[in-house]
Order: sequence, then structure tokens, then C-alpha cells
Amino acid sequence: MIVVNTFAHIADVHLGENHNPAIKKLEIETFSKTLDICIERKVDFILICGDLFHVPIPDLGVVKEAVTKMRKVKELGIPIYAIYGSHDYTPIGTSIIDLIESSGVLVKIARGRVDDDKLKLDFVQDEKTRAKLVGINARKMGQENKYYEILDRESLEQEEGFKIFAFHSGLDEFKPYPLRSMETVAISLFPKDFDYYAGGHIHERSENSLPGYEKVVFPGPLTGYGRDLEDTSKGEKRGFYIVNFTDKLESVEFVEIKPVESIYYEYDPTGKSSVQVQTELKDNLAQLDVAGKIIVLKVSGELSGGKISDIGFPILVEELRQRGAIDIHLKKHGLKSKEYTAIATVGEESTAIESRIFKENIGEVKVSVEALQNESGLRISNELLEILRVGKQENETKESYERRLREHALEVLRAKKVIDG
Amino acid sequence: MEELDVVGQVIAGKVASIFIREKSDKSIELGDLLVAGQDNHDYLLLQVFNLVYGSQIPQLSRELSAGLKLEGYGGNLDFVDPKLRNYVLAEVKAVARVSEAGVRTPKVLPSFFASVRHIKKEDLGFLEKPPHPVFFGHVRSGSKILDVGVYLDGEEMFTHHVFIPATTGRGKSNLVKVILWSVMGESNFGILVLDPHDEYYGRNSKGLKDHPDAKGHLRYYSAKPFPGTSTLVVNLKSILPWHLDGIVDFTEAQQDAIQLSYDKHRDDDGEWISGIVTGEELTGVSPRTLSVLQRKFKTIFGLYRDNMGTVLCRNNAFSVSAGESTISEIVQALEGGKVVVIDTSRLTDRAELLIGSIVINELLSRYGNYKAEGTLEEKPVVSIVVEEAPRVLGIDVLEKEGSNAYSTVAREGRKFKIGLMAISQLTSVIPTTILTNMNTKIILGNEMATERHAIINSTAQDLTEDERSIASLDKGEAIVSSIFTKFAVPIQIPLFEEYINTKKSNDKFTSSKEDKLLFR
Repeated sequence: MIVVNTFAHIADVHLGENHNPAIKKLEIETFSKTLDICIERKVDFILICGDLFHVPIPDLGVVKEAVTKMRKVKELGIPIYAIYGSHDYTPIGTSIIDLIESSGVLVKIARGRVDDDKLKLDFVQDEKTRAKLVGINARKMGQENKYYEILDRESLEQEEGFKIFAFHSGLDEFKPYPLRSMETVAISLFPKDFDYYAGGHIHERSENSLPGYEKVVFPGPLTGYGRDLEDTSKGEKRGFYIVNFTDKLESVEFVEIKPVESIYYEYDPTGKSSVQVQTELKDNLAQLDVAGKIIVLKVSGELSGGKISDIGFPILVEELRQRGAIDIHLKKHGLKSKEYTAIATVGEESTAIESRIFKENIGEVKVSVEALQNESGLRISNELLEILRVGKQENETKESYERRLREHALEVLRAKKVIDG
Repeated sequence: MEELDVVGQVIAGKVASIFIREKSDKSIELGDLLVAGQDNHDYLLLQVFNLVYGSQIPQLSRELSAGLKLEGYGGNLDFVDPKLRNYVLAEVKAVARVSEAGVRTPKVLPSFFASVRHIKKEDLGFLEKPPHPVFFGHVRSGSKILDVGVYLDGEEMFTHHVFIPATTGRGKSNLVKVILWSVMGESNFGILVLDPHDEYYGRNSKGLKDHPDAKGHLRYYSAKPFPGTSTLVVNLKSILPWHLDGIVDFTEAQQDAIQLSYDKHRDDDGEWISGIVTGEELTGVSPRTLSVLQRKFKTIFGLYRDNMGTVLCRNNAFSVSAGESTISEIVQALEGGKVVVIDTSRLTDRAELLIGSIVINELLSRYGNYKAEGTLEEKPVVSIVVEEAPRVLGIDVLEKEGSNAYSTVAREGRKFKIGLMAISQLTSVIPTTILTNMNTKIILGNEMATERHAIINSTAQDLTEDERSIASLDKGEAIVSSIFTKFAVPIQIPLFEEYINTKKSNDKFTSSKEDKLLFR
């Protein structure tokens, strides 16, 4: 009799991304529910393809809850395998993933060594299913690309058996259009003819195929509560994959996780005054059933008169909260006022505004290092800003926070050959 | 002029046809560059376009003399002072006047009886390396190679289009490889190469991949990618109906059907091609029209529907799911001053041209926006290398199928800093209006007289007298005629394998402590 084995493919959980206690709780509950489904569905093992946590050293309360749940799963005989995601990575060498591994709750599958300029990876074999897993950890900003370039593909391709390649990187060939500027890897750097390529990092679910790479899957984020909330509230499904296999891939199934409803509400105030907008928005929002839901409110357009600050967004948000909304995300980057253009922001996203400001001003900064000039300088500026985005964590001291910033920044400057090392 | 240097003397002629008597112990070749003028600061450059015998002895006497020798009547028979009486006359034209005022088109004849000598490196000091150099080869005088590199400024040259007329086996691929190699590493030019023979990247031999800056300045797309290079796969969403203009011949009814399908799917990410390929009904479109369209998409682009109703592509170049960012990445790379080589060897002609058309449309759109917002000057010049140019620039194609993205670039690309580098065996089938817009021509050997005439009729310099020279160009020899050169410069293109500096990149991987930690 042919035995059908099963594993769960999860990625981009980003536990601890939100500071709102209600969402924080929701995040951990969703993760917990996911593991419950894995137990119910009797998966043989679970594979987490990076970014289990949002930061390398997360809030210990979140860690405790996650580890407690994972330990239960492990005690039920379901091993958990994992690789680092770009958010798990830390240049100081030890992230929370390492600590969890040392406690025996999960097994890292990116194992190997660099020999003669070649990265030789070792398979980790799942004891029960005999599936062979191997993977490459991510680093910040796609810097793992260099590992793919030196990867000894041949030895991996020659290995027999049911093989899974885990990665946490975008791929040139399967990069969604909105992420077109993202640093990605060419799939030709991957070893060929694995049975399953388990991806992470791309926050959009997709199942892909190319000759030599028959099943390349990105589950997308597990919850989609963070930066992906707008897409989630517009109906993008979130969840993970359950994969059935024998000595070859049998089927893949997407399992949707939706522990909370969300509402996307878009409002165009073009041609209306701030007073009209406030009245209309208040009336319109009153029609929505917001209790127990996450609300994404996007206001984009040009006011015919009045100030943006006259609209009274804080009051509108507070009203929604009082009516039971779990969390409200107000997006008004695209809101402008004809009368008060000086205070209006142009551009859809804050990142676009930042890039524009960098671009407008980089010519003013006189530096002799070529890499810091023009387009290259812009890219480095944006990457350094990305580092600054991750603020001081609750469990970080001022010194360790500063050290982290410094080390990440130096890493970027080294990678871009601005400084040696 | 030193006595020893003298190779001949001007003895007769007129503008564009000056006769020089060759000195007996010297050798003047067809295509030789000669210098006439006593003063090193004011001299004429002359080019040999014909060689004839001259003799002081009447032809009848010469015929008789030859007969006597041939028939054994006078073994030792010879002319008195043969070096004086028999000689070679070189027919030359003045190609440039070099003086302290600069290099100008010559409007004077050399002094009567002026001595001439072979050109020297120092005579070409005015051929300076421009700020954004593109290398073609070395100056050639006859079959002699001078240590003087020939460069044009890429910023000017690429936007004013380049035309390379060449028949098979004359070194066209070698030339293009040399040009591309010379600009790689510069960030001033983005070059898109549609490579139907997969010969530029260097899959099986030396190629652009061996350039020391290849890692940062070369992108290669192929259906069969090398490790580290990208798979050529374009999402169907990237294709818009007007990308097919002039690429595929559609009837009016078929065009209407395409427009209807596009309008119908405008809001669902433009899945209009899938609609056609899957046989979706379109109001007012006959089943026959739809069926012909389906067949065209199948034969031309390899698109078909499988049993599950999924749209697939026979050669994997097009996809409903993969390749969403491919076109954007290509354009981004060109904007970043990279060379992008697309291996189209596994595609049909039309599929290759369609991919080029999509990229060109996106480029024109972006560069149009940059122009509108006043930032175009900051962007690199982009050149599109297209082989067998008559496929898109041929008179019959343009008449039958209307204009296309390539002809648009040929006509209007300059104002957006986008140019064509068109390669063709046939010149005569390209409209004169387009040919004259191609302001740099790199002419390789061509044995077909009609083609030589077509080339000569459209060059920046008057090459009427050079037809014989063009016919006699050996492999690797060429003439560069450009509005950016002072005269049509004869060149020797180096053999790519010898030209390239194969020094390896310094990006040797050295493992760090962090790397060890990542894979422990």
C-alpha cells in the first residue's frame, strides 16, 4: 500500500509585528489555530519558511506563547523545521530561532559549510516520511543572493528521494508586479528537479511552475495583519499550504485562515470641502457593521477647500473604536487640499514620498564616494532607512538597540562596497 | 616630408579623383590612407579607391614586348628604365583637410606634384576618445592596421541610430560583441539585444558573460537560463493589443475582436489573450474570426489551451502566472545603464519581435514621462539591437502591416534618447526615410551590387567612389560612415576573443563568521 505523507508549509507569520495588544493577541491566536489545524489534519511535519517573528529578538511574551504551542505540536510527534527569514536574521549571529532550536522545539534545515568557494548544503531527513529537506537562510535585503551564487547545486540535484528546497527570497520569474523593484534571485540558481520548492518572503500567495522547477509555492503571510492589511481587507486570502506526497508530489491544498473579519472602505473626497467630507465620512462609516472587525479606511483625493486637519480623523477613528472595531488603519497619504497644498503630501505610500525626497536632495550632498551618489546613493539611503524603521524593541537596551542599528548599517555599507570588510 | 616616406606624387586629376603616381619601390593598396602636404599643421588626407597601370610606352609596344617574351623570342628582353616608364597610378579622393582650424571637408586639391606618404598615427591625433566612448576597431589603411582606436560618442551615436549592413560571414556578430563589450561597465547606455542566434552572451564560447563587469552590468534572459541568469518568461498581462501593431498581420475583423476582448477584460488585469485562446465568446464576433485568431496565437506565440482550460505556452516564453515583473525588470535594467541580452533562439520571429515591442512601448512610455517632467537628461541613452531589420523596417512590412514599435523608434526615438541598432543583410528593402535617419553606418563587406548602391546612397559621407572598396572588404574590415566622424573611417575590427580582456571579477567569495553562523 502506498502511504501518503503530509506536511504543512507556512511562511511569514511575523509574530510581534503589531503593537496594538488586540492584534498582537490575534496574531498569536491565528498561529495557534494554524498549528491546531496541522494537528487535526495529522500532518507529518511542519515547515516554516522564514519570518516566524517580525524581529530577531522579539517581545518575550510573544515568544513564550509561540514556543508553548510549538512544543505541544512537537510532543505530538510532529517535527517543525524552519529557516531564517529576513526578519529573523541578525548579524550578531544568534536570533530567537536559534534559541528555540536549542530548546529542541524546532529544527533548522539550512545546514552546510563553505568549502572551496562552494556552499555545500546538507539534507535534513524527516525520520517518519524520509522526506529530505534543505534550505537557505535569508539575510537582510536579499543579501542571501551570494549564497545562491556559490551553491553546490549538483550535489543537491544528485540526491535521491522526495526532496524539498526551502527558501526565503523573491524570485525574478515569480515576482508580483507591485514588488517589481524588490531584490530577487533568479530561479536558475536553485538546484533543479526538487519535488517541492517551499518559499517565503513574498506576501502574495502563488503556485508556480517552470521547466525544472515544477512546484514553487509561496503561501504568503499567515495573517496579513501588518503591512498587508489593505490587501487582506480587500479580500486577499491568507493561510498556509498542506502538501501530500508519496515518493513524489501528490497534491497541494491552500488552507485559508480567517480568524477575524476586516473591512476595506475607500473614500474619494475630490471636489468636496473638509466640512463636507467630515459629515459624509461620519454618515457613511455609521452604516458599517464594524464590531469585532479590523477597519482599513483609505481617503485619497483632493479637497476643494479647507484643511485636511479640519476633517477630524482622530474623532472618526475613536468613534469606530467605541463601536467595537478591533483596530483601525487610516491611510490618507494620497489626500491633498487645493487651498493648502503646502501641507499636503504627494504620493501613495510613505516609502514613495521618502524616495522622492531622497531623490530631490541627493544632488545637494557632496560626497566623493561614487557609490553614495546618484541611483546607487538613493538605493543605499533607502536601505539605511529600512534599518531605522525597526525601532527599539521592548526587550532591547539603548546600547543593544544602537549596536544593532550600527551593525546592520555597516553590513549594508559593506555589501555595497562603500566600506571595506 | 622625409624622402624615405614618400610613396607617390600627385600628377593629375580633379576633385574626388586625384591621380598619384606610385613610387616604384613602394606599395599603395586599395583603401590606403595617404597624406599630402608639406606642413604638419595643414595637410590633406587622401584615400585610394582605385589602382590602374600607367606607362610611357604605347600599348601596342607593350603587347608586342609581352608576346616576344611569352613566345620565347627574347628571354632577356626588357624596357629601358622600366621603373621610370611603367608604374601604378592610384586614384584617390581627399577625405579631410587637417589644419590648425580643425578637421574639415576638403575644398582644395593638394598642390600639383605634391609628394604623398602613408598615413601615420600622429596624423590622426584629431580622432580623440570621446567622453562616452564606443569602440569599433582600429584605423585601417588598406590592409595595414594603425594603433589608433576608433570611437564614437555613444550618447550621440546611439540616439541617432546605427545601421550595420552585412552579409553572412563578414564578422557582424563579432562587431556587435566588440561594441557591446566596450560599453559594458559604463552606465551611460542601456542596450537591449534581441539575440535570435544566442551568440552574444557566450553560452558555449567567450562572450559578454566574460566581461569583468558582467555581474553588475549584464542581464541575460533565456528560456534555458544559465545559473544566475533569468528565465525568459513574460506574463500575458504585459501584452497589450497595440504591442502587436505591425508585428502580426490581423484583418480588420480580427483587430475588432482583439479590441473587444481587451475592453471586456480591462478590469481583470487584462486577461484578454487568455479569453481569446480559451475561445471565449465575444458579442458580434463570428466564431470563424475567433477560431482564426486562436490559431494565430497558437502558431505565432505558441499559446494554447490544455484539457483543463488553462492557457499554456509551448515554448514557455509567455505565461498566465509567471513573469509579471519581467518587462519591468528589463526596462529597469536598461534605465540602469545595463546591457540586456534576450536569447530568442527558441522563439518564433514574431514572438521575438513582440517581446521587443513590449519593452520598447514601456520604454517610450517611461522616457516620455521623464521628458515631460524634465528628468530625461539624467537617464541613460537606450539602444535596441535588432537583427534582420527588414522584419520590422522593410518597405513591404511597413506598407502591409503599418508602423510598429521599431519603426516608431527609428522615426521618433531620438527625442526620447532611444535609438535602434539595426542589422541587416538587405539594405535596399528599407525605406530611404528610415535609412537616412540611421546616422551611423558600419559597413562590412558586401558582394551584392544592389545592396552596395543602397548603402552608398544613404551614407553620411559621399561614398560613391568606394563601391569597389566595399566589395573588397575582408572579414573584420569595415568602413564607419557617420555624421559624427569627419570622414568615412576604414577600420579593422579586432577579433572578439583577442580583444577581450579576460581578467576575472574580483568578487571572489570569502566566507565570514556570519556565513558560518548562518549554516551551522
